[in-house]
Amino acid sequence: MKKAFVAALLILTAMPLLIGVAALPPHGDPDTPVHTHISARYLEEGREEAGADNIVTGVLLNYRGLDTAGEVTVIFTALMAGLAVLISHKKQPEGDAAYDAAEAAAEDAPVRAPVSPVVSFVVRLLAPFIALFAVYVIVNGHVTPGGGFQGGAILGALFIALTIVLGRERTRTLMPRLAQPWMQGAALLTFVGVGIVGGALTGYFLGFPADASLHLARKLMMLVLEAGIGLGGAAVFATLFLQMEAE
Amino acid sequence: MSAVFDIMLLVFLIVTALAVARAKDLLGAAILFSSYSLMMCLLWQHRGAPDVAMTEAAVGAGITTVLFLVAIGRTTRREK
Repeated sequence: MKKAFVAALLILTAMPLLIGVAALPPHGDPDTPVHTHISARYLEEGREEAGADNIVTGVLLNYRGLDTAGEVTVIFTALMAGLAVLISHKKQPEGDAAYDAAEAAAEDAPVRAPVSPVVSFVVRLLAPFIALFAVYVIVNGHVTPGGGFQGGAILGALFIALTIVLGRERTRTLMPRLAQPWMQGAALLTFVGVGIVGGALTGYFLGFPADASLHLARKLMMLVLEAGIGLGGAAVFATLFLQMEAE
Repeated sequence: MSAVFDIMLLVFLIVTALAVARAKDLLGAAILFSSYSLMMCLLWQHRGAPDVAMTEAAVGAGITTVLFLVAIGRTTRREK
């Protein structure tokens, strides 16, 4: 009975979805509104207008800068929500039930082995190169694929790898306690800062100057935004890892 | 050739997705999910979206897997 109900529900949900997919224009059709309306403008004039060779970055930071600012806000809010859950979880009353649960979990959990010397050596050998690659991805994001988000994720992964291999005492200096809130909010703060600078230059919040004379200012604004997104993203991943791993 | 590669990736994608849903061992599920992300990353790259592919590789295959492993390390390895 229950299985039949589930099957019926699945079919009822899948049918409208499949009908909707069938009504979509064929993949890559050049006559669809997406390709005739606004993409053409981005592709033809994006390089001059947005000032980025990588058109994805041009759309993300310039044409749709406000959307990216919203996205950064979502990531920051998600981190805050995650931290709230993790911290409230830690302050649970230490009753008998909590003790039993912890005991059962400890029995079931895999034993934490010391890091293998091979892994330790490889991570320490590669760390500077990974860091350089992350910075390259962030700084070169307006020319080649990549940008703040991608580079930030690579930096965050590097921090996590180093923390696993070297221990949190050694990597603590990379993220000092006083700087932590500023690093976690770096992306949002840079967006507000660059937005105000853009407002002073063009009259619109997060506006990018289109004049050829202000070309350098536009490049600089994009670079600062990318760096802020990268630092903020890395700090978000690093904080999540540190809080989840905390005893 | 290109279509064959796409179909191979899609088949792998579906197989890993089903395997993640069916796995009782959460450690295995996390690793399978990481391989799912890797397939997805190759698919993004193959469809001409290198920016998304980089994000998928770094976040999907890298950091989420580590966070899953940490979560498993702090809870239990078996699904109840």
